[in-house]
Amino acid sequence: MSKNSAGSRIPAGSKVSVRGLRKSFGSNEVLKGLDVEISEGEVVCVIGPSGSGKSTFLRCLNKLDELSAGTVIVDGFNLSDKTVDLNEVRQHIGMVFQHFNLFPHMTVLQNIMLAPVELKKQSTATARASALKLLDRVGLAEKADARPAQLSGGQKQRVAIARSLAVNPDIMLFDEATSALDPEMVGEVLQVIRDLAAEGMTMVVVTHEMGFAREVADRVIFMADGVIVEEGTPAELFGNPQQERTQDFLSKVL
Amino acid sequence: MNMSRAGKLSVAVTALLALAGGFVGVSAATASQPNSHVQPQTAVTGETYVIGTDTTFAPFEYRKDGELTGIDMDLIRDIAANQGFNVEIKSLGFDAALQALQSNQVDGVIAGMSITDERKLVFDFSDPYFDSGVQMAVADTNTEITGYADLAGETVVAKRGSEGETFANSIKDEYGFTVKALADSATMYDDVKAGNSVAVFDDYPVLAYGINQNNGLKSVTEKEQGSSYGFAVNKGQNPELLAAFNTGLAELKSNGDYQSILDKYLEQPAPVAASGFFGLLSDSLPALMKGLGLTLLATGLSILVALVLGVLFGFCKVSESRVLRGLASIYVSIFRGTPLLVQAFFFYFGLPQLTGQPIDVLTAGVLTLSLNAGAYMTEIVRGGIQSVDPGQTEAGRSLGLGYVTTMRRVVLPQAVKIMTPSFINQFVMTLKDTSLLAVIGFAELTYQGQQIYAANFRTGETLLIVAALYFIVINLLTMLSNQLDKRFNK
Ligand SMILES: Nc1ncnc2c1ncn2[C@@H]1O[C@H](COP(=O)(O)OP(=O)(O)OP(=O)(O)O)[C@@H](O)[C@H]1O
Ligand SMILES: [Mg+2]
Repeated sequence: MSKNSAGSRIPAGSKVSVRGLRKSFGSNEVLKGLDVEISEGEVVCVIGPSGSGKSTFLRCLNKLDELSAGTVIVDGFNLSDKTVDLNEVRQHIGMVFQHFNLFPHMTVLQNIMLAPVELKKQSTATARASALKLLDRVGLAEKADARPAQLSGGQKQRVAIARSLAVNPDIMLFDEATSALDPEMVGEVLQVIRDLAAEGMTMVVVTHEMGFAREVADRVIFMADGVIVEEGTPAELFGNPQQERTQDFLSKVL
Repeated sequence: MNMSRAGKLSVAVTALLALAGGFVGVSAATASQPNSHVQPQTAVTGETYVIGTDTTFAPFEYRKDGELTGIDMDLIRDIAANQGFNVEIKSLGFDAALQALQSNQVDGVIAGMSITDERKLVFDFSDPYFDSGVQMAVADTNTEITGYADLAGETVVAKRGSEGETFANSIKDEYGFTVKALADSATMYDDVKAGNSVAVFDDYPVLAYGINQNNGLKSVTEKEQGSSYGFAVNKGQNPELLAAFNTGLAELKSNGDYQSILDKYLEQPAPVAASGFFGLLSDSLPALMKGLGLTLLATGLSILVALVLGVLFGFCKVSESRVLRGLASIYVSIFRGTPLLVQAFFFYFGLPQLTGQPIDVLTAGVLTLSLNAGAYMTEIVRGGIQSVDPGQTEAGRSLGLGYVTTMRRVVLPQAVKIMTPSFINQFVMTLKDTSLLAVIGFAELTYQGQQIYAANFRTGETLLIVAALYFIVINLLTMLSNQLDKRFNK
């Protein structure tokens, strides 16, 4: 299997294993030692106040941000290892951004086909067929030839999800995928994420949608000031928070 | 007239001297070439020498119907024919020709140049071939200035580095006027006609010729006793060329050719009737179109090289390596931080002196323009890349695409679209900047225009035609570029 080609792959029970992760920007320490284990098929929602380090944590999982200390093993790849092929690793990890980041100079279909074709994973014809299938899955088959500028926010985000699914990732990372959307469009995007969860995709979802977290999460992590303050099942964390900071935060957002 | 008698005396003397010098040259040459016994060969036989000259020093050198002509030109060509060598004339401008000689870009200079002690330090001079003298002229409408005494408090103009300037400076304190230096005769005459200066000090034959061509000036004083003109080679270089010049000059003087050349230019020529604007247009268009061709060639080449430099250094500027970023920054600040004119002088005159390798004017010009435009292109490329939302790169990279692929497929297509208007702008700037290359004697459009008004003194009309040509070409190219931009960057 091609996944084994990046030598440092470690067979492990966990899909994601984070130990003592620290991240600083200059003298500003943003992540102050995180330990997280996520098993296959698990859906983990990360909540917490603005600036607590949720996005940074997510970006460390596919090394869009460099790690300052600690180990991160994702899908068997040790990201702390300098020799690991990041381009290979990232094909196993899909990422969806708050602001979609669709490629504006390409059609919807071209956005989705770009990675599979450039990475020589699929022929153009196969890539097109799979792209159309993905679009159908997110309910946008008729928008294949549209430009991103012609889509609504919700449609854009669904295309972005289809785009990251095109390389067949094992793990999906969502960074506030619905925060930039008008309220009436939040539902359609959450539905797509919900479907993915139902299919057994391993996911880390940073979100402000507490209702959604409660519904789809297997586990909820509450972060504040760069540390994990508390984690548990939705029922535990939302129903019976142990920490004062968690209670504080939840009382404000619920 | 006075001068011709004095001239004849010196002709005899110089002819003798030249003959003596020539014999030494010839015997030395034959001694070193014992095998050449068929023809009286000399060291210069069959050689080609590059001779620098002024652009506009009528009647010594000027262009007529696109051809370089004048006393100097006839003289050097006749001497070359007489002595069996070839000349390639480079019309560079006076200062530029002297610099070119010092940097061995040319083998000799004949440019109505006075033989002075200062110049003798750096050049070797031939026997004098013309006795000049400085004369003053004023606008033909001016009735106030009739002598040096009337110049008190006024500004006069003289050619930079010329005998006229030396003379004007020598009497300025006595008469209380200010001397301004300009680079060529046509500009000086225009300065006087425009009233910026009240009088011009220029070499008598030049003034006489100009006045006769209806340049709007008149002379009001007698010619001052002046120095003599000589042909120059770089100190210690090309002694055989100098010797051949002297021998040839002496022969031309004795066979009457020399006198007929002088008569051709200095005998009262019949004033030429000025042709109308359209006459000027049709007369000047062939030369101007040739210039325009060179302008476009230099622009095209420079923009291409600048594009490559801009992309190269632009990528350095956005790279993660401190060294590459520093390198690109140094490049940009050097070429944006110095005037284009200085860069042109450096590449054409300075570089050959440093490397000992002569450089032709097109190469020097394109080098200057492309390095200069490349610096601006670098900033355009950097700005274009950086103005693309970083989220685009992150999206590309998070899909597993490498840096190069992300750049090529995601960032650059968007950056190019942003950069295109700036590219078009730079293209137009570079086209206009080619006109600065006239100073190093690159025969582009502006240079051709200067040549034309230097000979006919119709500065305003000629420049109008030149400007119109630039205007038309630039606007056509801009329209075309915008069309292409719309087509490919929708
Ligand atoms: N590239 C960066 N350079 C410097 N500081 C950064 C950078 N990215 C994030 N930070 C800082 O790190 C801290 C955590 O940021 P992060 O974006 O991870 O927070 P967050 O929990 O995602 O907040 P939000 O809910 O507002 O998205 C903030 O103080 C932020 O200013
Ligand atoms: Mg965030």
